[in-house]
Amino acid sequence: MEIKYGVISADSHAQLGPDAFLARMSKARFGDRIPHLRETTAPKTMLTRQSDRIVERWFVNGKIEEPRGVANCPAMMEDPSRTYFPQRWEEVPAGVYQPLERLKELDRDGIDAEILFPNPPTQEGVFFQGDAEFELACVQAYNDALMEEWRGASDRYVPLALIPYLGGIDQTVAEVRRIARLGYRGVVMVAEPASAVRGSGAWALAADHPGYKLKHFADPYWNPLWAACQDFDLTIHWHANAGIRVLAPVWKGYAPDQVWTSVVPAGFSALSQFIPLLVFSGILDRYPRLRWASAETGVGWLNYVLDACDHEWERRRLWSEGIAIRPSERLQRQFYVMSWFEVEGIKGCRLSPANIMWESDFPHNPSTYPQSHKVIGRMLEGVAEPTRRQILWENAARLYKML
Amino acid sequence: MPIVSADDHVIEHPEVWTSRISRSRFSDRVPHLQRQPDGSECWMVEGNRLPLLGTGSAGALRSDRSGEPRRFEEVPAQAWKPLQRLAAMDRDGIDYSVLYPSVAGVAGETFARVADPELELACVRAYNDFLIDEWAAVSPRFVPQCLIPLASIESAVAEIRRAAKRGHKAVIVPPVPDRLREGAPHINELAYEPLWNICEELDLPVCFHAGSLPQLELAPYAGLSPRLTEAMRAITRPAGITSIISNFIVSRIAERHPKLKVIFGESTVGLVPYILEVADYAFVQRGLQRQFNYDLTLSDIFRRNCYAVSWYDNAGIRQTCDYVGAKNILWASDFPLATSTWPDSRSFISRFSERLSEVQRQRVLCYNAAELYKLDIKP
Repeated sequence: MEIKYGVISADSHAQLGPDAFLARMSKARFGDRIPHLRETTAPKTMLTRQSDRIVERWFVNGKIEEPRGVANCPAMMEDPSRTYFPQRWEEVPAGVYQPLERLKELDRDGIDAEILFPNPPTQEGVFFQGDAEFELACVQAYNDALMEEWRGASDRYVPLALIPYLGGIDQTVAEVRRIARLGYRGVVMVAEPASAVRGSGAWALAADHPGYKLKHFADPYWNPLWAACQDFDLTIHWHANAGIRVLAPVWKGYAPDQVWTSVVPAGFSALSQFIPLLVFSGILDRYPRLRWASAETGVGWLNYVLDACDHEWERRRLWSEGIAIRPSERLQRQFYVMSWFEVEGIKGCRLSPANIMWESDFPHNPSTYPQSHKVIGRMLEGVAEPTRRQILWENAARLYKML
Repeated sequence: MPIVSADDHVIEHPEVWTSRISRSRFSDRVPHLQRQPDGSECWMVEGNRLPLLGTGSAGALRSDRSGEPRRFEEVPAQAWKPLQRLAAMDRDGIDYSVLYPSVAGVAGETFARVADPELELACVRAYNDFLIDEWAAVSPRFVPQCLIPLASIESAVAEIRRAAKRGHKAVIVPPVPDRLREGAPHINELAYEPLWNICEELDLPVCFHAGSLPQLELAPYAGLSPRLTEAMRAITRPAGITSIISNFIVSRIAERHPKLKVIFGESTVGLVPYILEVADYAFVQRGLQRQFNYDLTLSDIFRRNCYAVSWYDNAGIRQTCDYVGAKNILWASDFPLATSTWPDSRSFISRFSERLSEVQRQRVLCYNAAELYKLDIKP
């Protein structure tokens, strides 16, 4: 592909259309459980107000997914506070879900290419609503649809694959092999599989399948997955909090926009509590060519993590516990992080610029669209040109083999 | 210039509560040590078991910085005896030490879980008296901070008045009362106005220390070695204060109380620029100013009212001084936690001092704390 604008968004979100799953999953086998849009009344959430109107929502295995709307695309909805989610499919702008229409939005915003993360009905990148067979069928339909419809439409799109969790590690690895053959360059995962299934809401398993208990992230159970991702040169991605929730109780007296503002620093930085485990579990030592990337987290908190891990490593002599290399050096070799607006985060960054990638987060609420170049100008003011190029496109082009 | 360590912990000895609370009235519900079948000791508080050091630690005093004492007789004297503590401070070059609890909870959270309001108040008062009688009375180098009961705001206010008269210099408030005590309001509720009023009136800083609630921290993976587990905990605890800080600056408490000083103990400074930058971005993008007419941006609320506490993070400190402000940062040795800079505080201080201007260095190491705690130090 050609670099024309000098900007790759390393974290954008592709919206699959209403037929993506219906066209790829067996009606005879899964019937109404297949992810599809259906009319319902709008559910109330912490971030939305109550409404009685008849709306549409995604249903997966008979349960509503993403209570806020049919697509997560507030940046495209002409709403100044960017909280509005389309309530019916006909409201969704074509640039959100039609790959060729989307290219016009990329041109409008001056973006060369996008790395594609999921959107409803699988914002979190998991299908835990049913059994293992259902999950695998949903995951494969998603992976096929994204590759065929988006990558098939343009090499300006680099899709990331989902993985199945519930059918055993062999099934997980088999799907990784399959998507590697399809041309994928990375996968999206939950950070802590064990709490993903014990959790609530979108992360919880359906009540009729209470038996699943996934192994902890640091359990050797996952070793074949790490080995496969390393062998196939697939970067593993965590997106935003990646399922890690460590929040003080949210005050009920807040309006929705205050709720968002009061929780978003802890939400984007939730991995600050998990990355120490990535280091201290020794996984990076055992798989030294395996790469991780965290999207929609920003970079500022990572400076804390590097300082804190190095301090405890020194203070407690953790090399004697098998953590042979200084944590910040280890993460420098194997960890990538994305940022979209932080002036201070970039200024204080202790990782080399070779590990930072810019993202627009299009079309989500925090997105820099349609003023990405303005935001970049402010974010990277005074940053030397070679460093700018690394952050804005060279790192992504290299990591995802785009040139 | 004297060095003030703004966040250290006393370890409460076995008689702190039994010597001050009536056994005839509360019988064995009074906090006391109990021998376990395996020979170790734990605290019993209103029938509930609590670790020997509460949520505190004496790891800095152990040769390998790992594990904790199993019986009180194994607790090193520098952790619990004031005179030996002074010697430990001398060895480390520390002039003043601001004291937080351990058994009573590093964030003062232990007694909030005591169901009987009278026993809760008795435990809080006993701690507050203990700290004055046994520590502050020994040396003006110890800076005492009081606990409050959470069962009733009125009795909290009364206890603050009493404690301030006795010499306490600040008020430790667990930032998540609603998760500690059934029926306690969320910290943002107007029910706490009398609390903020009295702290403003008496010019007493409020301390929200990290570690108030296990749910704010990711539980360590059971398969890690004890030393790696302790390292994980030391990193997740400060990170767990992120949503406490962001909630406070959105809450509008500081707008109602512009003179209130709020100290985020064991926060480190590395996360603060991140929290403020992300909060300001959301503040603008979500139209908070337009909708709710805040007096200041969220980062300016922090700059006016708040303090973060650093101990080792010398990489982040220059940036935090430049972006947030040197007047918003306190330094601490975090003694006697395993993560503490003790007994190497001088080398930690000289490492981060290289990154700061002389004025910044003086503010962080001395004058901010001297002003907050009204220490007898002349610039």
